[in-house]
Amino acid sequence: MKFKAFLTENGVNLLEKRFLPALDKMGKICHLYLTRDHTMFLHNLLNGDGIQSVAQFRKEALFDDYRISSQNEDRIAFAIDISLLQRAVRSSVSICTEFGSGPTQNRLQIKLVKKLPPNCTQPMPFLTFETKGYKSAVIQDVPISKPFSRAQVIELQTALDMAQDLPQTLVQVPDLNQLQNFVDRLKHVGDLLNVSISKYGDLLVQISTTLITVGAEFQKLLVIGEQADAPAEDRNLSAQTRSARAISRGDAQSVQVSVKHFAKSLQCHLAKPDCAFYGIAPQGACLTVIFQFFIPGSRQTDKSISLHCRLPVLDPGSS
Amino acid sequence: MSSEGPDLVCEVDNVQGIVDALTAVRWKRQQDAVVELSEHGVVLIVEESSCLQAKVYLQRELFIKYEYGGAQGRPRFGVSLGLLVNCLNTFSVPGSGRSSSTIEIRYPGPDMQLLLKSVDSLDACIYAEIRTRIPETISWDYNFEPAGTTPISFTVKSAALKEAIDDLEWPGSSVQIILQPDPPSVTFKGEGHGDLQIDFMYYVNTDLLIAFSCDHQVSYRYKYKFLQATTSNIPSSVIRDNRGSKLTIGRGGMLKVQHLVSVARPSIPHPHVDSAGYQQPSRIAYIEFFVKPEEDESTIND
Repeated sequence: MKFKAFLTENGVNLLEKRFLPALDKMGKICHLYLTRDHTMFLHNLLNGDGIQSVAQFRKEALFDDYRISSQNEDRIAFAIDISLLQRAVRSSVSICTEFGSGPTQNRLQIKLVKKLPPNCTQPMPFLTFETKGYKSAVIQDVPISKPFSRAQVIELQTALDMAQDLPQTLVQVPDLNQLQNFVDRLKHVGDLLNVSISKYGDLLVQISTTLITVGAEFQKLLVIGEQADAPAEDRNLSAQTRSARAISRGDAQSVQVSVKHFAKSLQCHLAKPDCAFYGIAPQGACLTVIFQFFIPGSRQTDKSISLHCRLPVLDPGSS
Repeated sequence: MSSEGPDLVCEVDNVQGIVDALTAVRWKRQQDAVVELSEHGVVLIVEESSCLQAKVYLQRELFIKYEYGGAQGRPRFGVSLGLLVNCLNTFSVPGSGRSSSTIEIRYPGPDMQLLLKSVDSLDACIYAEIRTRIPETISWDYNFEPAGTTPISFTVKSAALKEAIDDLEWPGSSVQIILQPDPPSVTFKGEGHGDLQIDFMYYVNTDLLIAFSCDHQVSYRYKYKFLQATTSNIPSSVIRDNRGSKLTIGRGGMLKVQHLVSVARPSIPHPHVDSAGYQQPSRIAYIEFFVKPEEDESTIND
């Protein structure tokens, strides 16, 4: 199997300043999944516990001169420590800027290699970062797991396909910062967060303990997918009553997630998305948050970048 | 016909000010408070081991709306102070584009809860419900009586008082407060691991000791931890404003400590603020502490 590509300046910016810091919050270890057309960073797809996240890039968004080949339909996957990857990118960038001017002078090459590390009898796989300057080259080896077998890749692809299911109703979060501040304060109140999403564009986020209930309600959010008009007679009711009524009509769904997971998913704002959408998967299987990125200077979705998370549901709410 | 409506519906436009006032009486993580509602305002009372009591007076003028519907008597309920303060904190959310929010507080809810709701925006709101309980009757009647015909009291800058009490942590477990008329002065004395004496002389430290009234020497001892509770959580706004805190010694040596906490929004100039920063009483919350003296035969009194 072979993989070799040059990170473009755009790719470096996307990874170093935006995505790697965000993905680092999702978990220490992620799976890097490379195909003929895409590069993906996947968290927790193969184990059911934590937040699942899928960051997907078309190869042109990150790389130049992308070459990949394997006996597995040119697909390669392995596990890698995100913080080590982040460190390697960061220091390669600083070396690049030190040595010369312009991206064409010093190209940052990433390669899959097998090397014999010191004090080892077996060669180990690495993702190598190579910066070639005028007179010297700097090489950084990031250790990775043994690349996946055919069966493992199929398992990963299957899990990925399942994770791409879109909820029927998605509501746009108005202000990620505000929501994050609020949820950070809720962490002191309790562990379980109730999230309700309605076709009217209402998002309700609530924590309850025996002594206290605290929540926030956002109404009239932008809805993508199945939508409906809020009945006028509900207008003056409390947030919780409105939500309960909508659920009984089948116009809303409610699930319970861990407040820590929810707060973690909001850390994806480090990737600097332009907006975020929340939705509940069919049958309340999970809470999905999809981050949208626009082509810079426009309001058109940049289809070459995508990021979404799925939060495990702790107690199936009404659906 | 008696109305079925709530006992109280009120609105507060500076949550941070209320939080500051309530935090001033939080000397422990877990405290049960008793809240009393009346047409004059809201009073919150906390106490500890019959030796220390604190009251926060939030008079109705602090609220931008105050609709009191309590028919007979003054409704009282018990609530966890820590929970109430943490809950109020979730309403002042930074980054929301506004420095403070307006919240509506309502009591009782359908299950005797305390209901809170932000009322700033039409399309977004934060809400909370806090469980209350039937309060126990306050065990100790803090009947504060003056020591004699002339009150024994002094007013000292709050920052100076806090600093003095903080310094007295070092010597030991009890602090002696001595007031004497000639020369007019207040002395704080701590003995234990070494001695420390802090004197405020009325005519000398006029920038610290603002007022003084005493016609005969009094001296009482107070347990350090209770005295410290009276200043340990003074909000930083009080220290910054450097108002005066008034201390009065009543009959039997009962100590009353009074602080003033500003509840006005700092960003918007209040029409009643004059150049010295003095604000009309309506934008101020009153905090009162009562500390019982230690039983001690060696107190020197006339």
